[in-house]
Amino acid sequence: MKGLPELFDVRVQARSLAYLFLAGSALGLLTLAFPHSDLIKDRQLIILAAVASAMAVAIWVWADRMRTWQLHAALATGTVILSLANYFVEATVLYPLLYTWTALFAFYFFRLDVALAHVALIAVCYAIVLIAVEPSSPVVLWLLAVGTPLVAGLLISRLLARIGAGVQDSERRARALQESEARTRLVLDGAPDAFISLDGDGVITSWNTAAERLFGWTAAEAVGVPMRSLITPPEFRERHDERRRALIETPRVVATQRYDVELLRRDGSRFPAEATVSKIEIKGEPFISGFVRDVTERVRRQQEREALLREQAARAEAERVNELISGMQLLVDAALAHRTLKAILDDLILKVRGVLDADAATILLAEDDERLTVAAPSGAQPPEGEDAAAEQAASIPIGEGFAGRVASAREAMLAHDPAPEDLPTPALRALDIDSLIGVPLLAENRVTGVLVVASVAPRRFSPEDLALLRLAADRVALAILHARVYQREHKIAETLQRSLLTEPEDLPKMPGLEVAARYEPAAAEEGVGGDWYDVIPTASGGVGLVMGDVAGKGLAAASMVGRLRNALRAYALEGHVPARVVEQLNRLVWTEAPDSQMATLLYMVVEPGESRIDWVNAGHLAPLLVNGSDPPEFLEGNGSVPLGVLPFPSYETVSATMEPGSSLVLYTDGLIERPGEHLDDGLAELAARVREAPDDPEQLCEYLLKTLVPSGGASDDVAILTLRNLPFVEHFSFEFTSEPEALSKMRSILRRWLHHAGASDRELAEIVTACGEAATNAIEHAGAAGRVPFEVSGRLRGADVEITISDEGRWRPPREGDQGRGLALMRALMDTVEVSPSPQGTAVRLRRALESNGGVE
Amino acid sequence: MKNGLVGLDIEERGEVVVAHVTGELDIAGAPHTGERIAEAVPTSARGLVVDMSTLEFIDSSGVAMLFGLVRRLSSRRQELRVVAPRGRPVARVLEIVEFERAAPIRADVEAAVAEIA
Repeated sequence: MKGLPELFDVRVQARSLAYLFLAGSALGLLTLAFPHSDLIKDRQLIILAAVASAMAVAIWVWADRMRTWQLHAALATGTVILSLANYFVEATVLYPLLYTWTALFAFYFFRLDVALAHVALIAVCYAIVLIAVEPSSPVVLWLLAVGTPLVAGLLISRLLARIGAGVQDSERRARALQESEARTRLVLDGAPDAFISLDGDGVITSWNTAAERLFGWTAAEAVGVPMRSLITPPEFRERHDERRRALIETPRVVATQRYDVELLRRDGSRFPAEATVSKIEIKGEPFISGFVRDVTERVRRQQEREALLREQAARAEAERVNELISGMQLLVDAALAHRTLKAILDDLILKVRGVLDADAATILLAEDDERLTVAAPSGAQPPEGEDAAAEQAASIPIGEGFAGRVASAREAMLAHDPAPEDLPTPALRALDIDSLIGVPLLAENRVTGVLVVASVAPRRFSPEDLALLRLAADRVALAILHARVYQREHKIAETLQRSLLTEPEDLPKMPGLEVAARYEPAAAEEGVGGDWYDVIPTASGGVGLVMGDVAGKGLAAASMVGRLRNALRAYALEGHVPARVVEQLNRLVWTEAPDSQMATLLYMVVEPGESRIDWVNAGHLAPLLVNGSDPPEFLEGNGSVPLGVLPFPSYETVSATMEPGSSLVLYTDGLIERPGEHLDDGLAELAARVREAPDDPEQLCEYLLKTLVPSGGASDDVAILTLRNLPFVEHFSFEFTSEPEALSKMRSILRRWLHHAGASDRELAEIVTACGEAATNAIEHAGAAGRVPFEVSGRLRGADVEITISDEGRWRPPREGDQGRGLALMRALMDTVEVSPSPQGTAVRLRRALESNGGVE
Repeated sequence: MKNGLVGLDIEERGEVVVAHVTGELDIAGAPHTGERIAEAVPTSARGLVVDMSTLEFIDSSGVAMLFGLVRRLSSRRQELRVVAPRGRPVARVLEIVEFERAAPIRADVEAAVAEIA
């Protein structure tokens, strides 16, 4: 049934029809333009022409939207108008020509049957016109006689043919349609995806099996219900309406649309879906059809894949961060593991180079707000002729060079192919540096310094390396700042400590005794220790030896040492016995020192005149006594608790004999303690070294330091105090300053000497008294001249003791009275007394024979 | 109390002042010690006992101190006794300077105090 007409679309057909109407109208008007019969009704004709023209215009304008049936109607109307025009012009020959055009048009554009229907209409209309105009016309009769049966027969035969064919055709078509629908339904039902169609109002018109499965609604339940209320979640209904309306209103059939939507199942559950939607038109009615696919699984897989990717990314990130943190931790540990600045810096350089696989690194410290000084060796070899130590003196202004810029910008920087002037040290300049990282060390909002790390090609630093250093920098900066503060404090504490310890060359000189002392700070500079010593001359010519160790380090320990030292001197001067002195010190530490502060103390008083030592040991290491060639002996026995441990501990004074020529060694634990060694081994080692050491106290100290302290320095502070009780000699000579206080010292020496010379107690007392008188005179002779020294010398000649006291003053003859008693005493107590005044001074020689005649011991 | 090597403790036994001198008495401590003992004896006291029984050393300046005390007390009609047991260095010195011609020397504090009181 398809033919030529369908080659043209409705628009072409409509426009052609419009031309036809226009031509008809023009022809009608043309008739009027020529001279014509009066029979012609002008007015009616003009009206018809106007109607035809109007129709032409209308058809032309609506050509796009004309439907086929409207075309038929228009053509039929045209036929009627033409027939009316014929009627009004009394059926001229001209107008049947127009009928021909009309028929031609019908045959040209319409199917044959339709065209024949139009021809039939034309024939009927023409016949009516003819009958109306001239009923008896032979043409009419002829037409009626021939035409009517012809047309009727034609129509009937045509109709019959149509009916026969139509029945056959409709049956076939119905069957085909049924089959097609069944097929379509089958196809649609068998489709894996839900198929839904909606009419223009959004009401569901089809609903396949897959849709039943997917949504839980049967086709019977779903069809006829608006989709928006059945399967669209409430919050998406408006969107659904908008999309549907937009799709419907699109004039032409649009391409398939795809939407990702969320839909509702019958049970209320939701699922993500993909809808493929298109607009169709069925018999001029717009419909929307679409496939809906449940993409839950796809979304899930997608999500899983994304989760997996995220997880992988997260793991990679975690590994990166972990690497970063462990690297950072290494650096921070390096900074925190040490207390001294030098140790921190050295370790940092080492670790930074390791962590970043860098060739060199250095740290510059801000000296003030203007300059940076290289504070740590870079680890790179300095160029030929450059001193490694000189590397550290280098200093650059803040703001200049790479490090200077990092300091002034207070920002970490990464530089590639740096210029030579950007490299802070000659050693770095000597390398072919490919990239540099500079990180400011910020602590307490100040630039403490700059860490510069350098790398030689092919290793190039990455932003990750920069990030790592930046992370570590803050903590490192703080450690460095603390170390610098600590170092400053350390210096103060050391100065204080030093000021408290009598310099060895300033130790008091006492007749008959030699003392020496050494203080060696620990190599590691781990803080000034609380080790201290003191040598206090006693009024009687003896000496107090102090060796102590205050627990703790730094300023607190140093100031405690200061207080103990002063207190001890005061108590000793008051003449308390050692045990009382130490008890007083314990009270001081117990009541006034901070909690847990304690101190060990060894306080020994050596009375050379009596060859005796008295001491108290408060928790300190036992001193060593070396008597002659005997093995060194540790003076143990009365060790008690350190100071500050108990409120009222009992301290007792212990005494021992100290022969002339013997030595004492006092020390702190730094001398004998070595890591990993037992204390007893250290003590045994000390005893062995002391035994082989020289007698001279100075040399003894040196020897012990040399043999016991590692060459790099001890791990703890070392203090040593040695004293030697000079051996007895038959002849001695001492100088004393001319002051009353010298008298007791002189007596002390004389007692010791006389004791060893074999004098009895009585002889000893009497000779000492006589010498005292002579010495008192010597002091008086010096008078206002000040501290002119006087000399006391002694000599043992067999059993004879001869003592000479000589001064540089003027001899004053004894006056009667008090002063005369001195000479009287000398004479009474000694065998002979010779006074030899001279312009240079006076010498008094005293002699006495010892009864015991024992001689030298 | 100590002054240099000298220790001094003053006690009053009724109307008698007892001064215990310990340590070593020489020119470094004697003048000052003498002053302090003299000041410790009120005019109302009957006398003074200088206890030197544990003094370890005395020289002419210590002796001068004692003579000075004798002079000051006798002008106020107050008695003075020195305690110095025989055989001790102090007693020997006092013996040599014939101190007993100025004031009596006794062997113990109790006897000396009893004599004056």
